[in-house]
This record gives sequence, C-alpha cells and structure tokens, in this order.
Amino acid sequence: MDQKILKKNQIGKLYKELSGEYSFFAPINKKGNIVFEKIENAEDIILDYLNSKIPPKSVLFPQEEVLFEYTLDDKDIEITDRQDLEQKYLIFGIRPCDAYSFELFANFFSFHGDWKDEIYLKKKENTTLIGIGCNTPRTTCFCTSVGGNPFNKENMDIFLSDLGDSYLVEGITDKGKALIKKLSWLSDATKNDVKKAEELAKKAEELITTKIDVDKVVENLSTCFEDPVWDEISEACIGCGSCAYLCPTCTCFDVIDETDHYNNRGRRIRIWDTCQSCLYTMETSGHNPRDTKIQRCRNRIMHKFSYYPTNYDLLGCVGCGRCIYVCPANNDLRVILDKIKKIEKKEGEKVVA
Amino acid sequence: MPNPYIPYLTKVKSIVSENKVNDIKTIELEFKKEKEYKNFEYIPGQFAEISLIGKGECPIGIASSPTEEGTIKFTIKKMGTVTSAFHNCEIGDTVGIRGPCGNGWPVEEMKGKNIVVIGGGFAFSTLRSLVIYLLDEKHRKDYGDITVIYGNRDPGEVLYRDVLDEWKKRDDIKVVLTIDREAEGWTEEVGFVAPIVKKVAPSSDNAIAVICGPPIMIKTTIAVMEELNWGPEQILNSLEMRMKCGIGKCGRCNIGNKFVCVDGPVFSLAELKKMPNEY
Repeated sequence: MDQKILKKNQIGKLYKELSGEYSFFAPINKKGNIVFEKIENAEDIILDYLNSKIPPKSVLFPQEEVLFEYTLDDKDIEITDRQDLEQKYLIFGIRPCDAYSFELFANFFSFHGDWKDEIYLKKKENTTLIGIGCNTPRTTCFCTSVGGNPFNKENMDIFLSDLGDSYLVEGITDKGKALIKKLSWLSDATKNDVKKAEELAKKAEELITTKIDVDKVVENLSTCFEDPVWDEISEACIGCGSCAYLCPTCTCFDVIDETDHYNNRGRRIRIWDTCQSCLYTMETSGHNPRDTKIQRCRNRIMHKFSYYPTNYDLLGCVGCGRCIYVCPANNDLRVILDKIKKIEKKEGEKVVA
Repeated sequence: MPNPYIPYLTKVKSIVSENKVNDIKTIELEFKKEKEYKNFEYIPGQFAEISLIGKGECPIGIASSPTEEGTIKFTIKKMGTVTSAFHNCEIGDTVGIRGPCGNGWPVEEMKGKNIVVIGGGFAFSTLRSLVIYLLDEKHRKDYGDITVIYGNRDPGEVLYRDVLDEWKKRDDIKVVLTIDREAEGWTEEVGFVAPIVKKVAPSSDNAIAVICGPPIMIKTTIAVMEELNWGPEQILNSLEMRMKCGIGKCGRCNIGNKFVCVDGPVFSLAELKKMPNEY
C-alpha cells in the first residue's frame, strides 16, 4: 500500500525523527497569530488552522535576509558569502495554495537567464514540503478560480488528509516517497481511509463558492490600462501595503547595508518591500513614475493577472484570500476582479503587455 | 552559480570633476582581481550596480567603452546617500561592482548604418561609451556616418571635454555642441537640443538614432525626428527607473511587463509605444 496513516498523537515522534536532519518549520500560534516558525517543541505545532496570517514564504524568503556580510578595515574590505545554504528545510503542514506559491517564487527567481537568485533557489532545492488538504476552506478562499484546489497535491512532496484522529499520508514526489519509506513505523492505510479522504476533498471543493472568471479578467486587463475602473478600485486604499506583504506570491524587496560602526562590520540585507508604497519607485531626482495611488493599485493587479501570465504563462495569484481579510479598508480582490471582468471592451484601445 | 548579490571588488584609480559646480564626477575603477575584470565583459549602454560597502548600492550607466581596456568608468551626479558617498571617495578606496546589467546599445544591429547620437546634460555617459566604441579602429569601418549632437544648460556643464576635443579633430565624425542660452566665449550652437536637431536635420536613410537626456528633451526631440521622417524602430532610448538588484528580482523597475534592468534599459521608440506610459 502506497498510502500510510499518521496518527495525530504521532506528530511528536515524526518531529523527533526528522528535526535532527531538517530545520523543521510548522504553523504555531504566536500571540494569537498563526505563523510558520522553526519548531523547538512538537507540542507547539498546530494543524487545525485555516490560513496562517503570515504566509510560509517567510521560511525561505524571510522579511529580512542577509545577502552577505562584510568587515571594513580602513581601505580593506572583506566579504563573506552565506554559509548556511546547505541547510535542509522541512515545512510541515503547509496548505496547497501556499505550496503552489513556492513554485511561483522559484519560477520568478530563476527567470532572466544569467541572473538566478541562488540564495532562494538553493534553499528551495533543499526543502521538503509536507502539506495538508483543507477540509474547511475559509470564506475568503478562492483557489479553485485560479487553477488551485483545497486538496491539490501537485506542489507537495508528501500530502496529508485530515481524517479526524489521523492523517492519510501520500508520497507525491520521489523525495517524498523516499522519506515515507524511512518512516517505517507508519501503518498502512485501508481502502476506507483513502475513500474517506476522497470524500473530504470533494466536500471541500464544494465549500468554495466564489467562482471568478479569471480568463476573462486576464483578457480584459490587456486593454483596460486607462479605464476609469482603476479610480474606483483604488478609492478606498490607504496604501498600507498589507495585501502585498502578506501575499504568498509577492517577491519584491529592498536592499540596504546595515553597519555596526563600533566593530567595523555589517551585512547587506534584503527586506520585503511593496509596490503599494509611494517610495518604492521614487527616483533620486524626485521623479516618480507611479506617484498616484491609482497607478500603484493598478500595478499590483496588473502584475498578478496580466504581466505574470504574459511573461511566464502563469497566474501570479494562488487564491489564499489573505489580501482580502487583512485589508483595513475592506478592499476585496474578488470584487476588484469582478469589476474588471465587467468592463466592456472599447474598440481601438491600446493593448499593453 | 554564485550568489548574484556579491560584488566584485575594485579600487578607485582616478577621480575627475566634470563640471564647474563640481556635482558630477567621473570615477575610474580598477578590478582587484584580473580574472574578475575578464568576466566583466560589457558593451556600451549597459550599467552596473556599484556600491560603497556599508553605504549602499546604486545602478549607474557605464561611461567607459570596452575598448578602453584595463579600467571601467562611471560618471556620478551627487544626488542621494550613495552618490554623495561616492563624491566623498578617495583614490584607493574599495568599490563593489556587480554586472554588467541590462541589454546595452545594439552595436551589432547598428553595423552598416549611419549613427546619430543625441544627448542632453548629464545623460551623456553611456553615449560617451558608445561613441568611443564606434570610433575605435577595430569598429569604425563597420559603421557609416557618425553625427553627435550634445546639448547642455551652460558651458560649465559640458562633460568629457577631453574626448569631445579629440572627436572634433577627426574628419570621420560630426560633433555639434549646443547650450541653452548664449554665454561669453561660447562659439558653438545656441538653443535647445530639439531645434538644433531640426537645423542639423540628420537623414533617416539607413540610420539609427540614440537619444539620452531629460524627459522633456527626449519628448521634443522625438517630435522633431518624426517630422524628419524617422521611423519608431530607428529611434533608441535608454530609460531610468529606480532599481535595487539590477538583475530582475527586486521588482520595482517594471514598466508594464518589462523590467528596465534586464529587458532594457535600451528600448526602441516602437517598443515604448507598446508599453504603458509609466516611466
């Protein structure tokens, strides 16, 4: 039998067995927020969550990350590369939408020929994802509209289905299958377990009622750059950038040098940045190509639903719904996409991207 | 593949103040490791991310030509934190450099054509690189007539006096210099770049024009070029956008679906017409 059973009270055993070899990340409750952190105590792991507040992109692309370190000695400068990229990561309990975002990250960071983001790609290569299907998707979830599914197994190494007291364990990739083989104490699943998981998957899909015609949105975006709809879409936005910071597919970053002048050493780091910030595109001359809120809101939507499909033939959205429930101004991506879908095409409009 | 954010290290070999108000300097860099210099193969029009470790990094167009072997030059205007730090540099200081970045001027496709180079102000740096490249004895025969039209606010702002003087002595290049308003001792053209281009009226026949300068100069010059029957695919521009990584990762330099750092900075007017007006 390829499928196995992991009892919920065996998670501690799993952690104990794997945490030596891997940096073991899983969702925990941190001051009321679900976040993925390195686990020190298996009892902290929480798997009956819906979506983590901070997406697990933070494991491989932390909010602040060292690019290299340096020492300054009058005129002599020494640079030290990252020494920790061989570390193996295991991310336990990741949801299908977030697992897909890892593929989008890897795709974007390996694009543009000569220049690959080796820091991210090396970490991704050394990462094993043990994900879990969503029995009860949130009301803001819309993964099924963007090519996903609450039980999508594609981007995981090992896939778990929550059967109540236990998880059905399926190896998806060779890496995942090999890992399951090592966990020889897992019991075999019965036909009944497999059937139960299939029923849960079907039920979960039915629970997602939002259906967005994304193909139509993508089509309309190629001609609506100058449409007045963007005034409407951006009207309530306060430019806080939460939608982008907490988006599992947003990759943008700023780069700064942090120097400890007392000890003549420092580090060049990258930190999450967002196209929703006015300063993001502000040039040193003072000129700003996207100095209005309309332009910035438009850029976020165009990036995910027009530029991304044009450049990579992929959607830049996984349907997790985080941008919907974190927005302090109640801007709802589903409503935005619906407005774009309803735009009537005008003849002779300039086609962009 | 190595970590793409780690710069090669160079040393400042020379510093030249380029204008009277002393806010533009050309800094010449020498690679600390010969092998890394060999890896840094560039063409005119490309840029690099240069940094003073501990102060920060910024994208600057390469002002030297690959034919000027041994060192690499950048012309830097004192504007923000990093460029001001560059202005405080001393000879021998260590400078980090990553690149070369971007597509550069299409010197291969330009072969066999007449070349018109139009620049305004401080944006002349990658045009300096281009013209020196075209005039190099290895390359001059590959190109037709070369015309340079270079405008500035006043005589004190004219960059690269030494190379301009050399070019003016040659008979295989036409150099037209202009300043906005008359000034004492100035014997060349007077007027904005666009009307001077109209006066010089370069022929569009089998020709490519490269234009660099402030937005208003580019806009007015393009209007004149169109009057002179230049097609949008014959006119090349180099764009600027805020950048951090220079290698298509940090996100901010997009215009529509293009990244200026990797898809540009050089775009033809035909390409620009298809892009949103967000630059």
